[in-house]
Amino acid sequence: MSSAPITLIDYDAGNLASLEGALDRLGLAHQRAATPDQAALTGPVVLPGVGHFEAARNSLRERGWWLALSSLAAEGRPILGICLGLQLLAEGSEEAPRASGLGLIPGISRRLGPGVKVPHMGWSRVRQLRPHPALPDPDGGWLYFVHSYALAPTVETIYLADHGRPFAAIEARGTVLGFQPHPEKSGAAGLLLLKSALAWMGASTPEPEAPCN
Amino acid sequence: MPAKRIIPCLDVKQGRVVKGVQFKELRDLGHPAELARRYDAEGADELVFLDITASLENRGTREAWVREVAHELSIPFTVGGGVSSVADARSLLRAGADKVGVNTAASLRPALVTELADAFGRQCVVAAVDVKRDANLGWRVYLKGGTEPTDRSAMDWLWELNELGAGEILLTSMDRDGTGDGFDVQLLEKASQLPIPLIASGGAGLEIHFLEALEHGADAVLAATLFHEGILPIPRLKAYLAQNDISVRI
Repeated sequence: MSSAPITLIDYDAGNLASLEGALDRLGLAHQRAATPDQAALTGPVVLPGVGHFEAARNSLRERGWWLALSSLAAEGRPILGICLGLQLLAEGSEEAPRASGLGLIPGISRRLGPGVKVPHMGWSRVRQLRPHPALPDPDGGWLYFVHSYALAPTVETIYLADHGRPFAAIEARGTVLGFQPHPEKSGAAGLLLLKSALAWMGASTPEPEAPCN
Repeated sequence: MPAKRIIPCLDVKQGRVVKGVQFKELRDLGHPAELARRYDAEGADELVFLDITASLENRGTREAWVREVAHELSIPFTVGGGVSSVADARSLLRAGADKVGVNTAASLRPALVTELADAFGRQCVVAAVDVKRDANLGWRVYLKGGTEPTDRSAMDWLWELNELGAGEILLTSMDRDGTGDGFDVQLLEKASQLPIPLIASGGAGLEIHFLEALEHGADAVLAATLFHEGILPIPRLKAYLAQNDISVRI
Protein backbone atom coordinates (compact mmCIF):
# COMPACT_ATOMS: atom_id res chain seq x y z
CA MET A 1 0.00 0.00 0.00
CA SER A 2 1.17 3.49 -0.84
CA SER A 3 2.16 5.73 2.05
CA ALA A 4 1.62 9.01 0.23
CA PRO A 5 -0.82 11.53 1.66
CA ILE A 6 -3.92 12.52 -0.29
CA THR A 7 -3.23 15.58 -2.42
CA LEU A 8 -6.00 18.21 -2.19
CA ILE A 9 -5.92 20.69 -5.05
CA ASP A 10 -6.10 24.16 -3.50
CA TYR A 11 -7.28 26.67 -6.09
CA ASP A 12 -9.75 28.96 -4.35
CA ALA A 13 -12.73 27.06 -5.67
CA GLY A 14 -13.39 24.39 -3.12
CA ASN A 15 -14.39 24.02 0.49
CA LEU A 16 -11.15 22.46 1.68
CA ALA A 17 -11.82 23.03 5.39
CA SER A 18 -14.74 20.58 5.40
CA LEU A 19 -12.91 18.05 3.28
CA GLU A 20 -9.88 18.18 5.56
CA GLY A 21 -12.13 17.73 8.58
CA ALA A 22 -13.68 14.64 7.01
CA LEU A 23 -10.27 13.16 6.16
CA ASP A 24 -9.03 13.84 9.69
CA ARG A 25 -12.04 12.04 11.11
CA LEU A 26 -11.24 9.11 8.82
CA GLY A 27 -7.61 9.17 9.94
CA LEU A 28 -6.34 9.78 6.39
CA ALA A 29 -3.19 11.84 5.80
CA HIS A 30 -3.60 14.75 3.39
CA GLN A 31 -1.85 17.86 2.11
CA ARG A 32 -2.91 20.94 0.14
CA ALA A 33 -1.28 21.64 -3.19
CA ALA A 34 -1.78 25.04 -4.83
CA THR A 35 0.50 24.00 -7.70
CA PRO A 36 1.41 20.57 -9.10
CA ASP A 37 4.93 20.70 -7.61
CA GLN A 38 3.33 20.74 -4.14
CA ALA A 39 1.52 17.46 -4.83
CA ALA A 40 2.55 14.20 -3.24
CA LEU A 41 4.53 12.05 -5.69
CA THR A 42 2.03 9.20 -5.47
CA GLY A 43 -1.40 8.61 -3.98
CA PRO A 44 -4.85 10.02 -4.67
CA VAL A 45 -5.41 13.51 -6.02
CA VAL A 46 -8.68 15.21 -5.08
CA LEU A 47 -10.18 17.99 -7.18
CA PRO A 48 -12.89 19.71 -5.12
CA GLY A 49 -14.92 22.52 -6.63
CA VAL A 50 -17.71 24.98 -6.08
CA GLY A 51 -18.65 28.02 -8.11
CA HIS A 52 -18.55 28.76 -11.81
CA PHE A 53 -17.15 26.26 -14.32
CA GLU A 54 -15.09 28.74 -16.31
CA ALA A 55 -13.70 30.57 -13.27
CA ALA A 56 -12.61 27.27 -11.76
CA ARG A 57 -11.06 26.14 -15.03
CA ASN A 58 -9.12 29.40 -15.37
CA SER A 59 -7.92 29.11 -11.80
CA LEU A 60 -6.65 25.57 -12.43
CA ARG A 61 -4.90 26.74 -15.59
CA GLU A 62 -3.16 29.63 -13.87
CA ARG A 63 -1.78 27.25 -11.28
CA GLY A 64 -0.59 24.71 -13.82
CA TRP A 65 -3.09 22.13 -12.63
CA TRP A 66 -5.03 21.87 -15.87
CA LEU A 67 -2.17 20.28 -17.84
CA ALA A 68 -0.92 18.41 -14.79
CA LEU A 69 -4.28 16.70 -14.28
CA SER A 70 -4.26 15.43 -17.87
CA SER A 71 -0.74 14.06 -17.46
CA LEU A 72 -1.50 12.50 -14.09
CA ALA A 73 -4.58 10.81 -15.50
CA ALA A 74 -2.53 9.51 -18.44
CA GLU A 75 -0.07 8.02 -15.97
CA GLY A 76 -2.91 6.21 -14.23
CA ARG A 77 -2.81 8.35 -11.09
CA PRO A 78 -6.07 8.05 -9.11
CA ILE A 79 -8.09 11.28 -9.32
CA LEU A 80 -11.34 12.12 -7.52
CA GLY A 81 -13.40 15.11 -8.63
CA ILE A 82 -16.09 16.37 -6.26
CA CYS A 83 -19.13 18.41 -7.36
CA LEU A 84 -17.82 21.00 -9.84
CA GLY A 85 -14.67 18.84 -9.78
CA LEU A 86 -16.61 16.08 -11.53
CA GLN A 87 -17.94 18.53 -14.11
CA LEU A 88 -14.40 19.80 -14.80
CA LEU A 89 -13.26 16.21 -15.40
CA ALA A 90 -16.02 15.81 -18.01
CA GLU A 91 -15.98 17.21 -21.54
CA GLY A 92 -17.67 20.50 -20.81
CA SER A 93 -20.64 22.27 -19.32
CA GLU A 94 -23.56 24.32 -20.57
CA GLU A 95 -22.56 26.81 -17.88
CA ALA A 96 -19.55 27.81 -20.02
CA PRO A 97 -20.15 26.70 -23.61
CA ARG A 98 -16.84 28.17 -24.83
CA ALA A 99 -14.70 26.38 -22.26
CA SER A 100 -13.93 22.68 -22.59
CA GLY A 101 -13.43 20.31 -19.68
CA LEU A 102 -10.58 17.85 -19.13
CA GLY A 103 -12.44 15.14 -21.05
CA LEU A 104 -11.44 12.37 -18.64
CA ILE A 105 -15.11 11.44 -18.22
CA PRO A 106 -17.42 11.55 -21.25
CA GLY A 107 -20.39 13.89 -21.35
CA ILE A 108 -21.38 17.51 -21.01
CA SER A 109 -23.11 18.87 -17.90
CA ARG A 110 -26.52 20.30 -18.67
CA ARG A 111 -28.58 22.68 -16.60
CA LEU A 112 -31.18 21.03 -14.33
CA GLY A 113 -34.86 21.87 -14.70
CA PRO A 114 -37.26 23.19 -15.83
CA GLY A 115 -39.98 22.22 -13.42
CA VAL A 116 -37.73 21.82 -10.38
CA LYS A 117 -35.94 24.28 -8.10
CA VAL A 118 -32.41 25.06 -9.24
CA PRO A 119 -29.83 24.86 -7.71
CA HIS A 120 -30.61 21.33 -6.60
CA MET A 121 -29.68 21.87 -3.00
CA GLY A 122 -30.19 19.28 -0.32
CA TRP A 123 -30.33 15.58 0.40
CA SER A 124 -31.33 13.21 -2.37
CA ARG A 125 -31.42 9.45 -2.58
CA VAL A 126 -28.89 7.67 -4.74
CA ARG A 127 -28.96 4.18 -6.15
CA GLN A 128 -26.40 1.98 -7.73
CA LEU A 129 -26.66 1.52 -11.48
CA ARG A 130 -23.43 -0.48 -11.83
CA PRO A 131 -21.23 -2.01 -9.14
CA HIS A 132 -17.74 -0.58 -8.71
CA PRO A 133 -14.92 -2.08 -6.60
CA ALA A 134 -14.25 1.31 -4.97
CA LEU A 135 -17.77 2.00 -3.81
CA PRO A 136 -20.37 0.42 -1.53
CA ASP A 137 -23.94 -0.16 -2.65
CA PRO A 138 -25.68 2.95 -1.28
CA ASP A 139 -28.97 1.07 -1.09
CA GLY A 140 -31.13 4.14 -1.55
CA GLY A 141 -29.14 6.18 0.98
CA TRP A 142 -29.15 9.98 1.13
CA LEU A 143 -26.31 12.20 -0.03
CA TYR A 144 -25.98 16.00 -0.02
CA PHE A 145 -26.00 17.87 -3.32
CA VAL A 146 -25.51 21.51 -4.31
CA HIS A 147 -25.42 22.06 -8.06
CA SER A 148 -27.26 23.54 -11.02
CA TYR A 149 -25.72 21.38 -13.76
CA ALA A 150 -25.35 17.62 -14.08
CA LEU A 151 -24.19 14.87 -16.42
CA ALA A 152 -26.79 12.65 -18.03
CA PRO A 153 -26.50 9.04 -16.91
CA THR A 154 -25.04 6.48 -19.30
CA VAL A 155 -24.71 2.69 -19.10
CA GLU A 156 -21.38 3.29 -17.34
CA THR A 157 -22.77 5.50 -14.56
CA ILE A 158 -22.12 4.08 -11.09
CA TYR A 159 -24.66 5.94 -8.90
CA LEU A 160 -27.82 7.57 -10.13
CA ALA A 161 -29.83 10.38 -8.53
CA ASP A 162 -32.89 12.29 -9.61
CA HIS A 163 -33.88 15.95 -9.67
CA GLY A 164 -36.57 16.54 -12.26
CA ARG A 165 -34.71 14.02 -14.39
CA PRO A 166 -32.23 11.24 -13.63
CA PHE A 167 -28.59 12.36 -13.55
CA ALA A 168 -25.18 10.83 -12.89
CA ALA A 169 -24.29 11.09 -9.20
CA ILE A 170 -21.06 9.10 -9.50
CA GLU A 171 -18.98 8.38 -12.58
CA ALA A 172 -15.81 6.33 -12.93
CA ARG A 173 -13.39 5.77 -15.80
CA GLY A 174 -10.28 3.76 -14.99
CA THR A 175 -8.55 5.46 -12.06
CA VAL A 176 -10.67 8.61 -12.39
CA LEU A 177 -13.71 8.96 -10.12
CA GLY A 178 -16.24 11.80 -10.02
CA PHE A 179 -18.81 12.53 -7.29
CA GLN A 180 -21.60 15.02 -7.95
CA PRO A 181 -22.68 14.98 -4.25
CA HIS A 182 -20.48 16.29 -1.44
CA PRO A 183 -19.36 13.23 0.54
CA GLU A 184 -17.78 15.54 3.15
CA LYS A 185 -21.23 17.06 3.75
CA SER A 186 -23.27 13.86 3.63
CA GLY A 187 -23.09 12.63 7.20
CA ALA A 188 -22.08 9.05 7.96
CA ALA A 189 -23.06 7.81 4.47
CA GLY A 190 -20.73 10.37 2.89
CA LEU A 191 -17.82 9.47 5.12
CA LEU A 192 -18.21 5.80 4.23
CA LEU A 193 -18.23 6.69 0.55
CA LEU A 194 -15.12 8.84 0.88
CA LYS A 195 -13.34 6.18 2.89
CA SER A 196 -14.10 3.41 0.39
CA ALA A 197 -13.15 5.50 -2.63
CA LEU A 198 -9.89 6.76 -1.15
CA ALA A 199 -8.87 3.31 0.09
CA TRP A 200 -9.34 1.97 -3.44
CA MET A 201 -7.33 4.92 -4.75
CA GLY A 202 -4.45 3.92 -2.48
CA ALA A 203 -4.76 6.32 0.44
CA SER A 204 -2.92 5.29 3.55
CA THR A 205 -4.13 5.25 7.10
CA PRO A 206 -1.47 6.29 9.60
CA GLU A 207 0.20 3.55 11.63
CA PRO A 208 -1.60 3.21 14.95
CA GLU A 209 0.40 4.94 17.63
CA ALA A 210 2.26 2.69 20.04
CA PRO A 211 0.49 2.59 23.39
CA CYS A 212 2.23 4.40 26.22
CA ASN A 213 3.98 1.62 28.08
CA MET B 1 -37.32 16.27 -5.00
CA PRO B 2 -34.67 16.44 -2.31
CA ALA B 3 -35.61 15.48 1.25
CA LYS B 4 -37.26 18.14 3.38
CA ARG B 5 -34.61 19.55 5.72
CA ILE B 6 -34.69 20.04 9.48
CA ILE B 7 -32.44 22.92 10.49
CA PRO B 8 -31.56 23.91 14.06
CA CYS B 9 -30.60 27.57 14.36
CA LEU B 10 -27.88 28.61 16.80
CA ASP B 11 -27.21 32.14 18.03
CA VAL B 12 -23.54 32.83 18.63
CA LYS B 13 -22.13 35.61 20.76
CA GLN B 14 -18.38 36.09 21.00
CA GLY B 15 -17.69 32.52 20.02
CA ARG B 16 -20.26 30.88 22.31
CA VAL B 17 -23.74 29.58 21.50
CA VAL B 18 -26.24 31.51 23.58
CA LYS B 19 -29.92 31.37 24.31
CA GLY B 20 -31.77 34.59 24.95
CA VAL B 21 -34.07 34.66 27.94
CA GLN B 22 -36.67 37.43 27.60
CA PHE B 23 -34.20 39.40 25.45
CA LYS B 24 -32.19 40.28 28.56
CA GLU B 25 -29.88 37.70 29.99
CA LEU B 26 -28.18 35.30 27.63
CA ARG B 27 -27.58 31.75 28.75
CA ASP B 28 -24.38 30.02 27.56
CA LEU B 29 -25.15 26.73 25.79
CA GLY B 30 -21.61 25.78 24.77
CA HIS B 31 -19.03 25.99 22.01
CA PRO B 32 -20.40 26.07 18.43
CA ALA B 33 -18.39 23.00 17.39
CA GLU B 34 -19.65 21.04 20.40
CA LEU B 35 -23.30 21.77 19.59
CA ALA B 36 -22.64 21.20 15.91
CA ARG B 37 -21.39 17.68 16.65
CA ARG B 38 -24.45 16.98 18.78
CA TYR B 39 -26.91 18.06 16.12
CA ASP B 40 -24.99 16.20 13.42
CA ALA B 41 -25.25 12.99 15.47
CA GLU B 42 -28.93 13.63 16.18
CA GLY B 43 -29.76 13.76 12.47
CA ALA B 44 -30.04 17.48 11.69
CA ASP B 45 -29.78 18.03 7.94
CA GLU B 46 -28.09 21.40 8.11
CA LEU B 47 -27.26 24.10 10.67
CA VAL B 48 -27.65 27.87 10.66
CA PHE B 49 -25.40 29.96 12.91
CA LEU B 50 -26.36 33.54 13.51
CA ASP B 51 -23.55 35.66 14.90
CA ILE B 52 -25.43 38.18 17.00
CA THR B 53 -22.34 40.21 17.87
CA ALA B 54 -20.78 40.36 14.46
CA SER B 55 -18.41 43.29 14.27
CA LEU B 56 -14.97 44.08 12.97
CA GLU B 57 -13.36 43.47 16.34
CA ASN B 58 -14.42 39.88 16.72
CA ARG B 59 -13.95 38.80 13.12
CA GLY B 60 -10.95 36.73 14.21
CA THR B 61 -13.00 34.95 16.88
CA ARG B 62 -15.66 34.18 14.34
CA GLU B 63 -13.25 32.74 11.79
CA ALA B 64 -11.80 30.51 14.49
CA TRP B 65 -15.10 28.96 15.51
CA VAL B 66 -16.32 28.67 11.92
CA ARG B 67 -13.13 26.76 11.12
CA GLU B 68 -13.70 24.43 14.09
CA VAL B 69 -17.31 23.82 13.13
CA ALA B 70 -16.28 23.01 9.53
CA HIS B 71 -13.72 20.55 10.84
CA GLU B 72 -16.20 18.75 13.08
CA LEU B 73 -19.37 18.81 11.05
CA SER B 74 -20.36 16.31 8.35
CA ILE B 75 -23.43 18.29 7.25
CA PRO B 76 -23.66 21.74 5.63
CA PHE B 77 -23.89 24.97 7.60
CA THR B 78 -24.72 28.62 7.00
CA VAL B 79 -23.24 31.54 8.91
CA GLY B 80 -25.03 34.87 9.03
CA GLY B 81 -24.80 38.06 11.00
CA GLY B 82 -23.27 41.32 9.84
CA VAL B 83 -22.24 40.07 6.40
CA SER B 84 -22.08 43.24 4.31
CA SER B 85 -19.38 42.67 1.68
CA VAL B 86 -17.79 40.08 -0.57
CA ALA B 87 -14.76 40.18 1.75
CA ASP B 88 -16.92 39.31 4.80
CA ALA B 89 -18.42 36.39 2.94
CA ARG B 90 -15.07 35.21 1.61
CA SER B 91 -13.59 35.01 5.10
CA LEU B 92 -16.51 32.84 6.27
CA LEU B 93 -16.45 30.59 3.21
CA ARG B 94 -12.67 30.20 3.42
CA ALA B 95 -13.02 29.22 7.05
CA GLY B 96 -15.35 26.45 5.90
CA ALA B 97 -18.93 27.76 5.95
CA ASP B 98 -21.00 26.38 3.08
CA LYS B 99 -23.28 29.38 2.76
CA VAL B 100 -23.52 32.90 4.08
CA GLY B 101 -26.68 34.54 5.31
CA VAL B 102 -27.42 38.17 4.47
CA ASN B 103 -30.26 40.27 5.76
CA THR B 104 -30.06 43.97 6.65
CA ALA B 105 -27.04 44.71 4.45
CA ALA B 106 -28.82 43.22 1.42
CA SER B 107 -31.88 45.33 2.08
CA LEU B 108 -29.81 48.50 2.35
CA ARG B 109 -27.72 47.63 -0.70
CA PRO B 110 -29.42 44.98 -2.87
CA ALA B 111 -26.40 44.78 -5.25
CA LEU B 112 -24.62 42.90 -2.46
CA VAL B 113 -26.69 39.81 -3.26
CA THR B 114 -25.59 39.90 -6.90
CA GLU B 115 -21.97 40.49 -5.94
CA LEU B 116 -22.02 37.46 -3.65
CA ALA B 117 -23.74 35.28 -6.23
CA ASP B 118 -21.22 36.32 -8.89
CA ALA B 119 -18.27 35.73 -6.61
CA PHE B 120 -19.30 32.42 -5.04
CA GLY B 121 -22.34 31.10 -6.88
CA ARG B 122 -25.91 31.62 -5.81
CA GLN B 123 -25.98 28.36 -3.89
CA CYS B 124 -23.79 30.11 -1.29
CA VAL B 125 -26.20 32.99 -0.73
CA VAL B 126 -29.00 32.62 1.80
CA ALA B 127 -31.20 35.71 1.95
CA ALA B 128 -32.78 36.03 5.38
CA VAL B 129 -35.99 38.04 5.46
CA ASP B 130 -37.96 39.02 8.58
CA VAL B 131 -41.61 39.93 7.98
CA LYS B 132 -44.77 40.91 9.79
CA ARG B 133 -48.34 40.88 8.56
CA ASP B 134 -49.43 44.28 7.34
CA ALA B 135 -52.83 45.71 6.39
CA ASN B 136 -51.48 47.44 3.28
CA LEU B 137 -48.63 45.26 2.08
CA GLY B 138 -49.82 41.78 3.05
CA TRP B 139 -46.50 41.21 4.76
CA ARG B 140 -43.95 43.95 5.44
CA VAL B 141 -40.18 43.49 5.57
CA TYR B 142 -38.45 44.44 8.83
CA LEU B 143 -34.75 44.95 9.50
CA LYS B 144 -32.45 44.57 12.47
CA GLY B 145 -34.14 41.58 14.02
CA GLY B 146 -37.65 42.81 13.38
CA THR B 147 -37.25 46.19 15.07
CA GLU B 148 -37.07 48.45 12.04
CA PRO B 149 -39.91 48.56 9.49
CA THR B 150 -39.14 49.14 5.81
CA ASP B 151 -41.42 50.23 2.96
CA ARG B 152 -41.02 46.89 1.26
CA SER B 153 -43.71 44.34 0.66
CA ALA B 154 -42.35 40.91 1.55
CA MET B 155 -43.49 39.27 -1.68
CA ASP B 156 -41.95 41.99 -3.87
CA TRP B 157 -38.69 41.73 -1.96
CA LEU B 158 -38.57 37.92 -2.18
CA TRP B 159 -38.99 38.02 -5.96
CA GLU B 160 -36.38 40.75 -6.19
CA LEU B 161 -33.95 38.68 -4.11
CA ASN B 162 -34.48 35.81 -6.51
CA GLU B 163 -33.71 38.11 -9.44
CA LEU B 164 -30.64 39.51 -7.67
CA GLY B 165 -29.17 36.04 -7.23
CA ALA B 166 -30.19 34.64 -3.84
CA GLY B 167 -29.90 30.85 -3.77
CA GLU B 168 -32.29 30.29 -0.92
CA ILE B 169 -34.71 32.25 1.27
CA LEU B 170 -34.81 32.01 5.05
CA LEU B 171 -38.19 33.52 5.84
CA THR B 172 -39.05 34.40 9.42
CA SER B 173 -42.53 35.42 10.51
CA MET B 174 -41.93 37.90 13.32
CA ASP B 175 -45.62 37.57 14.24
CA ARG B 176 -45.09 33.92 15.05
CA ASP B 177 -41.47 33.91 16.20
CA GLY B 178 -41.24 32.75 19.79
CA THR B 179 -44.97 32.04 20.10
CA GLY B 180 -44.95 28.30 19.47
CA ASP B 181 -48.31 28.77 17.71
CA GLY B 182 -47.14 27.35 14.39
CA PHE B 183 -45.67 28.77 11.19
CA ASP B 184 -47.52 31.37 9.11
CA VAL B 185 -48.64 28.89 6.46
CA GLN B 186 -50.33 31.49 4.25
CA LEU B 187 -47.03 33.32 4.05
CA LEU B 188 -45.22 30.08 3.19
CA GLU B 189 -47.74 29.16 0.54
CA LYS B 190 -47.18 32.46 -1.26
CA ALA B 191 -43.41 32.46 -0.84
CA SER B 192 -43.05 28.88 -2.04
CA GLN B 193 -43.99 29.99 -5.54
CA LEU B 194 -40.43 31.28 -5.83
CA PRO B 195 -38.15 29.08 -7.94
CA ILE B 196 -35.54 28.84 -5.14
CA PRO B 197 -35.68 26.81 -1.91
CA LEU B 198 -37.61 28.23 1.04
CA ILE B 199 -36.67 27.75 4.71
CA ALA B 200 -39.59 28.42 7.07
CA SER B 201 -38.84 30.03 10.40
CA GLY B 202 -40.83 31.40 13.32
CA GLY B 203 -43.55 29.71 15.30
CA ALA B 204 -42.60 26.05 15.66
CA GLY B 205 -44.09 24.61 18.83
CA LEU B 206 -45.38 21.14 17.97
CA GLU B 207 -44.57 18.36 15.54
CA ILE B 208 -47.68 19.15 13.51
CA HIS B 209 -46.45 22.70 12.88
CA PHE B 210 -43.47 21.33 10.95
CA LEU B 211 -45.78 19.09 8.95
CA GLU B 212 -48.04 22.06 8.13
CA ALA B 213 -45.10 24.20 6.99
CA LEU B 214 -43.76 21.45 4.74
CA GLU B 215 -47.21 20.72 3.33
CA HIS B 216 -47.61 24.42 2.54
CA GLY B 217 -44.54 24.59 0.36
CA ALA B 218 -41.52 25.04 2.64
CA ASP B 219 -38.45 23.07 1.57
CA ALA B 220 -36.90 23.21 5.02
CA VAL B 221 -37.95 24.15 8.53
CA LEU B 222 -35.88 25.97 11.07
CA ALA B 223 -36.28 26.12 14.83
CA ALA B 224 -34.15 26.93 17.85
CA THR B 225 -35.65 26.56 21.32
CA LEU B 226 -37.52 23.33 20.62
CA PHE B 227 -34.29 21.62 19.65
CA HIS B 228 -31.94 23.30 22.12
CA GLU B 229 -34.15 22.53 25.08
CA GLY B 230 -34.63 18.96 23.94
CA ILE B 231 -38.41 19.50 23.85
CA LEU B 232 -38.62 17.93 20.43
CA PRO B 233 -35.73 15.59 19.60
CA ILE B 234 -34.91 15.58 15.88
CA PRO B 235 -35.20 11.77 15.49
CA ARG B 236 -38.75 11.93 16.90
CA LEU B 237 -39.69 14.82 14.61
CA LYS B 238 -38.31 13.01 11.56
CA ALA B 239 -40.10 9.78 12.45
CA TYR B 240 -43.35 11.74 12.76
CA LEU B 241 -42.84 13.47 9.41
CA ALA B 242 -41.95 10.18 7.71
CA GLN B 243 -45.16 8.61 9.06
CA ASN B 244 -47.01 11.48 7.46
CA ASP B 245 -45.47 10.82 4.06
CA ILE B 246 -42.94 13.63 4.14
CA SER B 247 -39.65 12.69 2.52
CA VAL B 248 -36.98 13.12 5.20
CA ARG B 249 -33.48 11.73 5.57
CA ILE B 250 -33.53 9.05 8.25
